[in-house]
Amino acid sequence: MKNFYKRGMLIIMFLLAMALLVMLAMGQAKAASLSTPSLFYQQPITGTVTDINGKYLPGVTLLVKNKQYGTNTDLLGNYSINANAQDTLVVTSIGFKDVEIMINGRSTINIVLEEDISSLKEVEINAGYYTTTQRERTGNISRVKAEEIENQPVVSPIQALQGRMAGVEIVSGGANPGMASTIKIRGTNSLRQDGNYPLYIIDGVPISSVPVESNSLLSTSGIDPLNNLNPANIESIEVLKDADATAIYGSRGSNGVVLITTKSGYKYGTGLEARIYTGVSTVPGRMDLLNTEEYLQVRREAFQNDGVEPDVNNAYDLVLWNQDRYTDWQEYLLGGKSEVTNANLSFTGGDENTSFRLGGSYFTQGTVYPGDYDYRKWTGDIALNHLSKNNKFRLNLKINYGTDRNNLVGNGNLDPSIILLPPNAPAIFNEDTTLNWEEWGAAGLTNPFEGFFNTTSTHTKNLTSNVLLSYEIFNGFKLKSSLGYADYQSNELWKLPARSYNPSSNPENNSFHLSTGRRSWIIEPQLTYDKKFEKFHTEFLLGGTFQTNNSTLSSFQGSAYASEALIGNLSSAESILNAKSSETEYKYAAIFSRIGLNWDKKYFLNFTARRDGSSRFGPNNRFANFGAIGAAWIISEEEFIKNNLSILSFAKLRGSYGSTGNDQIGDYGYLDSYQATRGINGLYPTSLANPDYSWEVNRKLEAALQLGFFNDRVNLGLSWYRNRSSNQLVGYSLPYITGFTSVQANLPATVENKGLEIELTTLNLDKNNFSWRSNLNVTVPKNKLIDYPELEQSSYSNTYREGYPLNIALLYDYNGLDPETALYTVKDINNDDKLDFKDRVIIKDLNRQFFGGISNHLSYRNFNLQFLFQFIKQEGIQTNFQAGINKNVLSSVLDNDRYQRYSASFLGGKSYRNVLESSFPYEDASFLRLKTLSLSYDLSSKILDRVNLKKAQLFLHGQNLWTITPYTGLDPESATSDLLLGNLRSITAGLQLNL
Amino acid sequence: MRLLNYTKQLLIILLSIFTLSCEDMVELDPPSNQLIREEVFNNEATVKSAMTGIYNELFQLDFSNGYRSSITTLAGLSADNISNISTTNLSRMEFEQNEISPDNPDNLNIWSSAYNMIYITNSFLEGINNSQELDQDFKKQMDGQARFVRAFTYFYLVNLYGDVPLILSTDYRENQLAFRTPKAEIYDQILSDLEQAEEELALDYENGERTRVNKNTIRALMARFYLYTENWAKAEELSGQLIAENGTYELLNDLNEVFLANSKEAIWQISPIGGNGISTQTNEGNFFIIDPIFSFFAAIRLEEDFVEQFDTEDRRLLNWIGYNESKDAHFIFKYKIWNSTEYPIKEYSMVLRLAEQYLIRAEARAMQNNLTGAISDLDIIRQRAGLDLLADLNPTIEQTELLDEIYLQRRKELFAEWGHRWLDLKRSGRSSEVLDDENSLWEDTDLLYPIPETERIKNPNLTQNEGY
Repeated sequence: MKNFYKRGMLIIMFLLAMALLVMLAMGQAKAASLSTPSLFYQQPITGTVTDINGKYLPGVTLLVKNKQYGTNTDLLGNYSINANAQDTLVVTSIGFKDVEIMINGRSTINIVLEEDISSLKEVEINAGYYTTTQRERTGNISRVKAEEIENQPVVSPIQALQGRMAGVEIVSGGANPGMASTIKIRGTNSLRQDGNYPLYIIDGVPISSVPVESNSLLSTSGIDPLNNLNPANIESIEVLKDADATAIYGSRGSNGVVLITTKSGYKYGTGLEARIYTGVSTVPGRMDLLNTEEYLQVRREAFQNDGVEPDVNNAYDLVLWNQDRYTDWQEYLLGGKSEVTNANLSFTGGDENTSFRLGGSYFTQGTVYPGDYDYRKWTGDIALNHLSKNNKFRLNLKINYGTDRNNLVGNGNLDPSIILLPPNAPAIFNEDTTLNWEEWGAAGLTNPFEGFFNTTSTHTKNLTSNVLLSYEIFNGFKLKSSLGYADYQSNELWKLPARSYNPSSNPENNSFHLSTGRRSWIIEPQLTYDKKFEKFHTEFLLGGTFQTNNSTLSSFQGSAYASEALIGNLSSAESILNAKSSETEYKYAAIFSRIGLNWDKKYFLNFTARRDGSSRFGPNNRFANFGAIGAAWIISEEEFIKNNLSILSFAKLRGSYGSTGNDQIGDYGYLDSYQATRGINGLYPTSLANPDYSWEVNRKLEAALQLGFFNDRVNLGLSWYRNRSSNQLVGYSLPYITGFTSVQANLPATVENKGLEIELTTLNLDKNNFSWRSNLNVTVPKNKLIDYPELEQSSYSNTYREGYPLNIALLYDYNGLDPETALYTVKDINNDDKLDFKDRVIIKDLNRQFFGGISNHLSYRNFNLQFLFQFIKQEGIQTNFQAGINKNVLSSVLDNDRYQRYSASFLGGKSYRNVLESSFPYEDASFLRLKTLSLSYDLSSKILDRVNLKKAQLFLHGQNLWTITPYTGLDPESATSDLLLGNLRSITAGLQLNL
Repeated sequence: MRLLNYTKQLLIILLSIFTLSCEDMVELDPPSNQLIREEVFNNEATVKSAMTGIYNELFQLDFSNGYRSSITTLAGLSADNISNISTTNLSRMEFEQNEISPDNPDNLNIWSSAYNMIYITNSFLEGINNSQELDQDFKKQMDGQARFVRAFTYFYLVNLYGDVPLILSTDYRENQLAFRTPKAEIYDQILSDLEQAEEELALDYENGERTRVNKNTIRALMARFYLYTENWAKAEELSGQLIAENGTYELLNDLNEVFLANSKEAIWQISPIGGNGISTQTNEGNFFIIDPIFSFFAAIRLEEDFVEQFDTEDRRLLNWIGYNESKDAHFIFKYKIWNSTEYPIKEYSMVLRLAEQYLIRAEARAMQNNLTGAISDLDIIRQRAGLDLLADLNPTIEQTELLDEIYLQRRKELFAEWGHRWLDLKRSGRSSEVLDDENSLWEDTDLLYPIPETERIKNPNLTQNEGY
């Protein structure tokens, strides 16, 4: 009660203070009246501003030289200003060279701006609690802009980032819409699989990046928590990587931070934008498998070789099944087309002081699998910005709401292993569309589509809202507060009708219900102070965070419904079973600060610090400090460079060092507690409690160089980093006599991630209405477990090795085919006639050796072409070479001496089992992929004027169009198994209209 | 200057808010699905739930659940009543061949699950004994039940492994390097737990459910305890007390009713209510019965030379043994239900029953040379099995012959129940002679299972049993 009271008081005090500020601001706003320039002797001047390709430029500032007023172009590049005939207009826009134009009595002036590449460095970059620029940043921040994301037919915006950022690895969760991708920023830091998620922040509100639980086909990866965001409503995504950028996020910054900023209202006039695209997606990959004749031939030889007589039990495919039947199971399962459609509508408007944006979208995508299933998403967003006339009070409001419904076949068996069914296997369905049980059952098998009539429907809702209030008390001294609220709900119903199952087992109509909720609020009051003393510029920030997260999960099962139609209607279930519910709370409080100093825009120092308190840690270890220092030196500002090296237009050296933490360890882990038993009405202890555990610490070091050549037509960024994550929180291994096998504790184990990131942007051509720019990013990462005391005795003894990366496979040494038996052999290293982990001496690094992307952007008159190639160097696994067993295999086994010749015996099976755990199945899974290709055409202004449109664009977009790889599995991106499906190939076409 | 002052003031205000509130801001109430241990033991309702939790977990934990890695299955395989149908399960084959390797996963399952139960009971005992809130009488009822389960678990640990670490607290820092305690000290602890429980507990079954431990349950285990420790007088006395409770317990004439829930023959049973809430069959029923349609699941059969020992009219052969044609195998058919989701639950897993008490008293009497008394007890078992009475057939039977007959009847009566045959062979010294015949790999050191390898890696103070 005491706590509650204090907290309540705090909130009330805070709200009162903010209310006071608002009133103060309003009063001041009224008092200050803007002096309008005298209009005498002036005439209106109108025109448009375009770039050299004729594209209209909105938001360009036009000032009348030596007079204190001006205007901006509207959404279509139109302006109108009053000026004297002798005046000069100063036209400025970020990214373009400034121009001065004498009016000379003209009343219509169309202005063409030339791009200024070097000024792109002045574009603001979101660093979370503050902003910086490409030129001045001391930390490592990568940025992806709206235009690279908005046309990609993906559900979660994270998927749209693939290949676009150095140091960021994203692997698609699978082929079903809504599956969570995994994102890793600068490698694997934690020994715990679930301790490697980055921090997601949407418009200042932290969102849990842990995938949402599901019982559906999404369960392998979980549901992506960003699904409900509209990718077309994202202004930019910044990824913070090094200590300088992440230390201000303290105990949550260890794995990097993903900042998502949604679009704001537009200051320059009113506009309506509509965009729609539609297209199809398919599974791009296929494996080269045997046909019926080849398959049966291989099977017969196998039985011959083993001297085993084929019978109904061991060779139903030879004895029982039709020998001429052929089904291409790959086409059957993966041959489908999924339609994708997206429609976006936004309305934006405003002026210098107040602007707004209202948006909505609809997205739908089918699945490639058999059956009629789809994913639908609706989103709505509101943004409101207000700046008081005296420029002192500022309000930014952003609300994003999204809801989706994911209908999928509710059958966990419907996985890609179905493509390995014998090619002469019986039909799945009878003619009356019921499942074919008889023919499969005759072979002692259950129909592989068992459960096909099951369905899951996952319905999620997500609200993310944030208000940022800021008031400038004195010149340079601001009081800000960010208030955020996020609410995520997911409800899932899994229906299991009896007709999905073999009638002879007397199945019942059942349902599974799962709902999860994640609610959080956050208040972050902040004080900032900027002051310039001649050449010395200082920026101070002091802030605090109060955050509470509430997560709920409940699940139960309804069983034995009287009829299929009633499934899900709990009152008609015979019983409700397995009801489970949990509610967890997470509280977090912190103080953070930043001091940014620079001398003459040449020397920069950036100090960040945070003191964190988190409820996830034991009462003895609730608080910790984190901090970093970053420094930069713009060498090209020095006279000796300016005078001697003219081709070097920009040069910056920067470095940072600091510590961040990782608190992703689940809630309440320190409690000595009892939980409900699986059996009814019981309580029991489920783990040992350690009240002392605490966060993992990640110390990050970075050194980097940024160079610009030929007036910044060529920009090169090189970053070297070394992150060491220690105090690893792992299950400390214990003998069972203590009751359990481990207890969560911090071990002095250390994981190191180091690497090199290269970013190169070039403007290759820029003349005669033609421009071509390229972007290259390459990352060479290196992951290593430096130290793990008593690894041998821990539960990780057969997972990790000191001195090697975390992501490894421990394998037998493949020893070729036995000359006599022609079976695979592996080496028994210690000659003890047993094969166990002591014989697994081959340590295979499964990490990417390097990866990156090359994007190109070409434009010619009204045409725009963008394409991105993604490349990865890595190894993958291919296991479908077990010729002779009752599964289809790669056709390469037919005429290749590398493979065991078709054995169906016990020994043959054993040698297959062993060889799968050897280096043998590994192969090069590197690939080069045309990740995205986008072609657009803008209708010319002549046509537009006639139909009264401001802009009209037609576009074609392709995703994962083409891949070159030596890998023989389905998708080299997910090469950890040959049967994993990754991204779909999509081709879409669309239209954008602006009114 | 004014500005600096202002800044200072604001900073001071802000910082003081923080220092005041930070500690509180990260304080949490425990979650709704967990209870802090101290709170569990501050209130009768939650203590009862924790007690129910112990009974539920007996149905979950490997050593006691009657399933693949249970003592019933594995100790059964070690003896000569049952064997594996498929020889591909290496781990279970090692039990059958008495060649258990120290890294055998099933062996680890017995060990780890038994010590998990020791932890649960220790945690429970610490909880109620540290609690100031509980009523004394209530505490006693709870204390007695938990002590029984702890003693019961140690009874099997010590009989399977010999000396084992005696763990009586929950502190892992203290326990992780524990040494093995001599068998005698473990027995002392078992006896003291049982004696205390016997004093504390009432005679009735709570709610009439024979899954709950009462004074008689304690006595039944004590009778067995004294039999194993060869205190014949005590064994006779205690089993006699059970047999005398003829209103509560009786041998059922219909053998198909013996293993039903709360059958009159049951002294203690474990209920499938502790399972997943969906299935309501016993694990023994599910694992041992060879269902005609799903015979490919079959894992365990009865050995043919054991089945042949039954007289053809022996009701136990007729009622408790089944035959599956496709596998050409006899199977254990004491439990009749292979698969069920029905409530109320029809069958419970039997742990202690009256027939064993007759056999205990028969043996104790025979050892004390009260042969007539022994014969009359044994005949009660024979009569129920539909066999002719020993009193008629051979009233002047010698002591050793009578003991052989008692062991044979124990084998036929108690087969596939909690490793009785294995423990009987061990304690009677017959194992070498019996198993040597059956198994060419037999060595006398096989009488004790190995201490699991991983356990010895993690706790170097644990020595290995001889022969491993």
